Amino acid sequence: MTLKISTIMIVLLLFGFPMMIPLILGAAYGFYGLFGGFDRMDFMVQQMLAGIRPASLIAVPMFILAADIMTRGQSADRLIDMVMKFIGHIKGGLAVSTATACTLFGAVSGSTQATVVAVGSPLRPRMLKAGYNDSFVLALIINASDIAFLIPPSIGMIIYGVVSKTSIAELFIAGIGPGLLLLVLFSAYCIVYAIVKGVPTEPKAPWGERVAAVRAAIWPLFFPVIIVGGIYGGIVSPTEAAAICVAYALFLELVIFRSLSVADIYKISKSTGLITAVVFILVAAGTAFSWVISFAQIPQQILGAIGIDEMGPKMVLAVISIAFFVGCMFVDPIVVILVLVPIFAPVVDSVGLDKVLVGTIITLQVAIGSATPPFGCDIFTAIAIFKRPYMDVIRGIPPFTLILLGVSAALIFIPQIALFLPSLAFD
Amino acid sequence: ETWKYAFEEAMTDVQGVYAQKFKEEVEANSDHEIQLFPFGTLGESADIMEQAQAGILQFVDQSPGFTGALIPEAQVFFVPYLLPAKSEDLGEFFRNSKAINEMFPELYAEQGLELLKMFPEGEVVMNTKDPVEKPEDLNEVKFRVMTNPLLVESYKAFGATPTPLPWGEVYGGLQTNIIQGQENPLFWVESTKMYEVTGAITLTGHNNFTTAVMANKDFYDGLSDEDKKVVQDAADAAFEHILEYQKGLSEESLAKIKEAKPEMTISDLTEEQRAPFKEAAAQVEAKFIEMTGDSGKKILDQMKEDLKAATQ
Amino acid sequence: MKMGSEDQKSEPHSEHYESTLPGVIGMFDNAISRIESVMLALGVMLMAVNTIANVISRAIGSTIFFSEELNRILIILITFAGIGYAARHGRHIRMSALYDALPPKTRKVLMIVITVITALTMFALCYFAVGYIAKVAKSGRVLSAMQIPVYWIYLWVPVGFFITGVQYALTALKNVVQKDIYLSTHVLEGYEEDEIEI
Ligand code: NA
Ligand code: NA
Repeated sequence: MTLKISTIMIVLLLFGFPMMIPLILGAAYGFYGLFGGFDRMDFMVQQMLAGIRPASLIAVPMFILAADIMTRGQSADRLIDMVMKFIGHIKGGLAVSTATACTLFGAVSGSTQATVVAVGSPLRPRMLKAGYNDSFVLALIINASDIAFLIPPSIGMIIYGVVSKTSIAELFIAGIGPGLLLLVLFSAYCIVYAIVKGVPTEPKAPWGERVAAVRAAIWPLFFPVIIVGGIYGGIVSPTEAAAICVAYALFLELVIFRSLSVADIYKISKSTGLITAVVFILVAAGTAFSWVISFAQIPQQILGAIGIDEMGPKMVLAVISIAFFVGCMFVDPIVVILVLVPIFAPVVDSVGLDKVLVGTIITLQVAIGSATPPFGCDIFTAIAIFKRPYMDVIRGIPPFTLILLGVSAALIFIPQIALFLPSLAFD
Repeated sequence: ETWKYAFEEAMTDVQGVYAQKFKEEVEANSDHEIQLFPFGTLGESADIMEQAQAGILQFVDQSPGFTGALIPEAQVFFVPYLLPAKSEDLGEFFRNSKAINEMFPELYAEQGLELLKMFPEGEVVMNTKDPVEKPEDLNEVKFRVMTNPLLVESYKAFGATPTPLPWGEVYGGLQTNIIQGQENPLFWVESTKMYEVTGAITLTGHNNFTTAVMANKDFYDGLSDEDKKVVQDAADAAFEHILEYQKGLSEESLAKIKEAKPEMTISDLTEEQRAPFKEAAAQVEAKFIEMTGDSGKKILDQMKEDLKAATQ
Repeated sequence: MKMGSEDQKSEPHSEHYESTLPGVIGMFDNAISRIESVMLALGVMLMAVNTIANVISRAIGSTIFFSEELNRILIILITFAGIGYAARHGRHIRMSALYDALPPKTRKVLMIVITVITALTMFALCYFAVGYIAKVAKSGRVLSAMQIPVYWIYLWVPVGFFITGVQYALTALKNVVQKDIYLSTHVLEGYEEDEIEI
């Protein structure tokens, strides 16, 4: 069944069907096969609705809305102008700033999709204008946003911690090392890319212009203060921070800068709703699909067939990495963690692997998988937001995937990358 | 035949331990095989319940509090101080309670479910930033509760500010001080690492988290008498196993928490200290009767009688 | 970059959206489009207001218990109003690399196949969604804070599937009748260059 379902899905995908169709028909084929007919299809609808239930999903439309208001108004331009005055003369400076912004925003917001939108919408046009290739820009935004999985607070790590009974505090700290390593490597790639492709730089801005740019950006500079202060001050949850950003963006653009009208806000809300729907219907379909995989116990069968019980620790880690990587190529990361972690738990225990290390590796794989074709929330979000063809969006991804896979391999052989910080903090 | 059994917790939590014992017993005494589906693998609690009602799943474990959305009377398990506070009385209570063994099976049958067993998961504790010894200590405390009206009423009555927050945000919410407290069974506080972001655990004896294992009724009715016996025996054996497992569990959870975080304040309230919390229960009972009417009142009264019988 | 719609030929703002369908059907189509766009915009705005209200009420020590449930209702509304709207404006995500490489005749046939299968899938989901809602209604399940029947919040789901199905069916028809290749009832295939304007 697994083989047939994947064949159907890939064929439909390649022939240009709307992407929800391969997922829905893949799931429907599973339901049909499992129950020998159509009478249980209502549970496919149940699972589709279950997919869009989690409260944390609310952050996505809220950050899309806030980002769109900022971008159509003046907030985003003022912020980026300011950054450009400081780094515009450095080779690859804008790309490195984008990567850093994605990492920081993703770290606090906890949502990779929200990061793609909030950081990507204002920065992508600027990078295009600066001479970067669009596929590179899109791939950078998608992959740098996924570093957010590793930097606390990480929803993925919380779920892993709960399901596997691992200290969430230790997981959080363990994610920092690999997360920063990825940021450094991505930045290095950005600089190399800018030099090789000869991306032009701007002349160095004099201090007078820099000061003027900072003053122009003073109001929007409160965005990070509101998000970070709101969350760490115990006023809002990361999800609610998104809604607070909407309120502040409205205040700036309607009252302070007077750059948007109420009619504009209506249009922006509508476009936010549209993008949300296009992405969420895929999340819904993916959840129905994963229910089939889980119900049919397909992962258990595959693991039994490859004989995981006879493997050593490094092989087990490799199998775990591959399983999560492949799983997240098709299905939402949270669902993959919920389904696969209990299946691997016995073998992780029996070969004596460190559960914090396993959790870090899983989180990293989840990050890679979400940014890797064919399916992935962050890819969908980028397509929906930036209205670029699928192939344009994924063309630039491979170098990033290579870096990510390199870090995964490094983690398996040098676990200290993850475990060094927790060992300092907890021993 | 292969039967499917889904539950609301991880494999190593109490529901998982029960399910594994049930599976072991059924497989040892019959040719049937049982596949287990822990938390999240087939959806959330409401999803697996619907799947069991439709017969896609043969067995499901859902706590009566959640079943309250379907069977309002089941929310009686959210009324404080209706279950024995001492663990040695629990077995007696669950084995002999008329409410549990006679009244609830009928209510579940109306929903297409055969109630196989209700069992205790562990004492519910208050898990807060600062120590709690009296209701006044809960003043100004934003206490996370599920959005159930009775839990909300309970914590209002206890003097806290009940605050809804999705479970996924509770750990972070405690860490950043959006909320200052949450309640859960002790083992859950330990296994979900909530102690990492709180400072105190208070044993108030106000509840023992109860859960229920059910079979799809059509499936169960269609079993041969022999298979029905296999299922019932397995449910009984798993129940006894859980009571045994529970004995050391609270102490063990506490010891693990103490080892991981020695500065954690743990207060086991005395009878006098519990009295004001017990008084608050009346308000919650009134709310329960308001919500469920006569049939709720009948169950509530029966539970009280069963409690008296078990603790004498 | 503009993410809104009014600046694109392919996606006129709803106030200017004119159905390309004849007579009464066209008027009906216009009305549905209008309703969908209002639901999308209001759904998103209400979600922001609701979430902010929840933060404020918690800050002043009271609480809105139905906040999470209201957001759940809104997210369903937005998603299922949005899929129809997205179908109308040719905005559903697809991977067109292989498709784009085919000759126009083949593309036309393939587009008809794609839209017919998609329409049928949507109609089937509409049917199954009605079945699911009937089941939830029969069980009597209620939302725990609002204490209203759960099935109420799903009522828009089959409607959304149905409208989406109709849009794809009409697109199939349009591709049969007209010479050009249509991605939706009034969007020609292909991405437009002005979409990357700043
Ligand atoms: Na994060
Ligand atoms: Na992916």
